[in-house]
Amino acid sequence: MRVFTGQRAFLLQRLTALVLLAYVAGAAVRLAFGAPLSLGQWRDSAAHPAGAALIALLAAALLLHAWVGVRDVVLDYVKPLGLRVAVLGMVAAALAFLGLWTALILASHAL
Amino acid sequence: MRFRVYRFNPESGAKPAFQDYEVRLQAADRKVLDALVRIKEADDSVSFRRSCREGVCGSDAMNINGRNALACITALEGLREPVVLAPLPGFPVIRDLIVDMTLFFKHYHEIRPYLVNDEPPPELERLQSPEERDRLNGLYECILCACCTGFCPSYWWNPDKFIGPAGLLQAERFIVDSRDRATAERLAFLDDVYRLYRCRTIMNCTEVCPKGLSPARAIEHIKVQLVRRST
Repeated sequence: MRVFTGQRAFLLQRLTALVLLAYVAGAAVRLAFGAPLSLGQWRDSAAHPAGAALIALLAAALLLHAWVGVRDVVLDYVKPLGLRVAVLGMVAAALAFLGLWTALILASHAL
Repeated sequence: MRFRVYRFNPESGAKPAFQDYEVRLQAADRKVLDALVRIKEADDSVSFRRSCREGVCGSDAMNINGRNALACITALEGLREPVVLAPLPGFPVIRDLIVDMTLFFKHYHEIRPYLVNDEPPPELERLQSPEERDRLNGLYECILCACCTGFCPSYWWNPDKFIGPAGLLQAERFIVDSRDRATAERLAFLDDVYRLYRCRTIMNCTEVCPKGLSPARAIEHIKVQLVRRST
């Protein structure tokens, strides 16, 4: 299996961009026309299974989109193989940490 | 008219520098190439490529006031002075305005710029319908001047691996050709993180093409076909 694929990353970047675009549009409409949410209401929405699923989808799309974008930058600018692997490893670890953190927060609200 | 020309002579050992010229144009001098010829008359050490003088051969592609163009079809009228003439960005400079296009043509050859068809040839020719022929419009006109490739940041970053807009436009020209039988192999070759997918749709290529072509659209079409092939 090829590590650095072209088409898979290309499609992943665009699909996640569509998800992010839908969220941004939805959030803009909500902020423009809806009543402000209190912290308690935000927590309640995150605790609801549907709200948690939406937040998880947003986080996954954001992290995957960031991975492809940063990977592209690294492929362009970081030429030495060892340094490239190290930078990509750090980015992957940071993004995985953020994903795990999000999952833990959602899980703590669901319990 | 005032000009500022990029000068570099590897034999002198001096660093590249811009040199100013004041050119007295003649009545028939209309294009940048005409002015360059005048400069050459005054200073025969200035080096540049040119051939057809009518935008067909693509030899005199260069950076004119920050924008890649063909000197022979770029009008002098309206150019901001001093007119800055530099070699195509992203290409190694051989001397003055002459660049090394070895990698450019290596990529061009990699995409196999010829029809691949092992079927027995017909008695006269491989016919196309008018619709099939129309698909080549906007592709076959490329003169390989490298204006697009030299204006593509993705090519500047990975000139040894990214095919570049000109090469990809040429690849598309053979992918859509109804007489070609190697579409699957061509697409498989291009499905690579460097060869095709370094393109970020910056669209500088389409912006500067002196023939009015759109390499960006051709590249997008290749990507669409790759998606269709894999679904």
